[in-house]
Amino acid sequence: MTALGHFGGLDFGLYFATLKRFTTMPPKGPDSPPEESNASPFFTVPAPIKRLFDKFPLTTYPANEIPQRLLRPHDNVNQLYVFTDASGARHGRPSFNPQCLKWQAYLKFVGIDFEITSSNNHASPNGSLPFLLPSLPADASNPIPSHKIQKWAIEQVHCEEEQQLNMRFEVYASLLDNRIRSAWLYMLYLDSENFDAVARRLYVNPTTSNWVVRAALGHQLQQAARDELLKTSRYIDAAALEADAGGAFEALSTLLGEDEHFFGRPNPGLFDASVFAYTQLILDDTLGWKRNRLAQLLKEHPNLVQHRDRLLKFF
Amino acid sequence: MVLQLHVWGPAFALPSIDAQCLAAIAYCSEVLPKDSWELIASSDPSVSPTGELPALQNGSIWVSRFRNIVDYLRQYSEGAWNLDQDLDDVQKADSVAFSSFIESRGQSLIDLYLYVTSQNYYNNTSPAYGSLLQWPNQWILPPKLHGAAKTRTEHLGLSSLDLQAMEDQRKREHSAAVASGQIPSNLIQQPRDTVSKLLGRTAQTNQFRLEALTADFFEPLEAMLARSKTCLLPADDNNNPSSLDCVALGYLSLALVPELTFPWLRDAMRAKAPLLAAYTERMRSRCFGDAPVEPKHAFQPVPAALPWRAPERISVAAVGSTLLGTLADNTPFLREVRQNRRLKQAVEADSEFSSVEKQVLSSYADSSNKDMLLSVATAVAGTAALVGYMVHVGLLSFSTGGVEEEEEFEQDAGVLQIDPGSAADFLGAF
Repeated sequence: MTALGHFGGLDFGLYFATLKRFTTMPPKGPDSPPEESNASPFFTVPAPIKRLFDKFPLTTYPANEIPQRLLRPHDNVNQLYVFTDASGARHGRPSFNPQCLKWQAYLKFVGIDFEITSSNNHASPNGSLPFLLPSLPADASNPIPSHKIQKWAIEQVHCEEEQQLNMRFEVYASLLDNRIRSAWLYMLYLDSENFDAVARRLYVNPTTSNWVVRAALGHQLQQAARDELLKTSRYIDAAALEADAGGAFEALSTLLGEDEHFFGRPNPGLFDASVFAYTQLILDDTLGWKRNRLAQLLKEHPNLVQHRDRLLKFF
Repeated sequence: MVLQLHVWGPAFALPSIDAQCLAAIAYCSEVLPKDSWELIASSDPSVSPTGELPALQNGSIWVSRFRNIVDYLRQYSEGAWNLDQDLDDVQKADSVAFSSFIESRGQSLIDLYLYVTSQNYYNNTSPAYGSLLQWPNQWILPPKLHGAAKTRTEHLGLSSLDLQAMEDQRKREHSAAVASGQIPSNLIQQPRDTVSKLLGRTAQTNQFRLEALTADFFEPLEAMLARSKTCLLPADDNNNPSSLDCVALGYLSLALVPELTFPWLRDAMRAKAPLLAAYTERMRSRCFGDAPVEPKHAFQPVPAALPWRAPERISVAAVGSTLLGTLADNTPFLREVRQNRRLKQAVEADSEFSSVEKQVLSSYADSSNKDMLLSVATAVAGTAALVGYMVHVGLLSFSTGGVEEEEEFEQDAGVLQIDPGSAADFLGAF
């Protein structure tokens, strides 16, 4: 039976009958005989609504088939669920979502084997991507949400927990999480030309081909970004957001200095992944930016651009 | 021209109740000559065309937000009024990063401490607003600020500090249980928590989260201070403070100074960061004077450490426009139209925006106006389509069916005839 079938006319009538009985019957002992369902004067369904529901179900669709990609055998490969398209998932290319790209890059940098799978927020147990489905132990079906991926990676390959090594880690990370993220939200979602050219193509269009749903989804996305920015200020000041991001890039550039990786580490780590998540997407011309003020600001700091080019070789 | 700094008024023995305002006051008191500026506790964001406090007024020019004020003072004085001129590149980078860190983490903690924690809000913060705001703002602004603080801290998952939200949640669950399936009331699970039990348990579960949050915030600052001794980021060899120290003072003094009912943030600061607590006291007496600031200083200025000037009495016209504005802001649709108009006005009035930025921002305001109209139109069209469809298939009929009405009447009569039986059953069951 399909999911729709459950709401068939018969079941629906049964539901009403049960409801009526509950409204009229006092609690009884278990041995009292079942009573005929009697309509109460206090609970009658208005006639137009009853006739409307009598028409359901209008049609019953056959059951959906299980998605093809789930039939592919994935033994012993960790699966990272991210925002990406089909070809990106096949070739393991960088995700187009900064949060997803951060963890994708981090797992690559610490040397964990994984495949990426195209997904969306509805699939995730905590409502946001990325999340990881580990291959071992074999019976583990518990997905790991993004804020626990680092802990899992440390258990797997015994890499360092970088936050503990330098007190500046958290301080400079706040630049990425606040100033650069705000400017990114503005550039991607609230700049209408960029939204139509980039965000609509990446986030909205793959979900549906229905233009009404697309319009509604697009509107929701923009509203969410607007609400996020209005949490911290009374109005959205694009010039101030860009100036803040420019200052943040300058500070990050000074922090990196002449080093290969942040904090002078021999190998890239979590902080490099966090920076790369934004610099890669800002400098990626294939996304089709119409107005890219952040790229202009970023290109004033050649060491950040080189840092991104070095890390892109991992992909 | 005397510069005028408009801020939220004094509370908790500090010259302002808002961290950004405290930072701006500290910066001005460090950088400006004593007789070149005045401090006005207007406590009403609508005095400034940008709708934000702190706001610096220089004749017809208004500049709001701490960083913009710092930039404006530097430009206006051609570099003379600048605390950060002697910093090298690494220190400048630290200044930017630590400011961002303090503003984001500190704001969350202050929101939790002064607003979300119910005991503190109702016993301390709300009365403090009552004494510094004028009628009718004292009834309008605090709930707005309270709500804004709750939204800002939602993602931290500490709403259990908010006893009111806990109570609402419990009631919602209870009434949902009653409504769904009409469960007999004696079968509904009684809420097992008494108030004292609830308090005890939430205090424990919160403790872990709060420990982690406060440690994350204080540890880097304490480490930085242990290295530099006197200031977080000394501006010169004489250990004068830089703009970062002003920002830090704004947030840390609100954590340390207020006497609150449930002082978890102050306790955490004293336990985890003794150097930081001493530093905050030192900076406070340096910038705000040794004597605690009382609200009456702001309204009847006496010679004090800060150049207070009494705010103008609120006029009848201003009261009327506040009331009308609040009414309009609470009306759906009208609110959004007004918000967008406000953004546009602020942009057009502000001469600092270049023409391109102006165009971008006003087109943003226009397009979000269009979005709003579109959603109204969609809702209307959707309702019309549903009604139209129901009429079309004959589910609804307007005054055409004498037959139909009779039919319905008969149905109703049928229902009524059955009813006495059910009442008899009901009696028989006892």
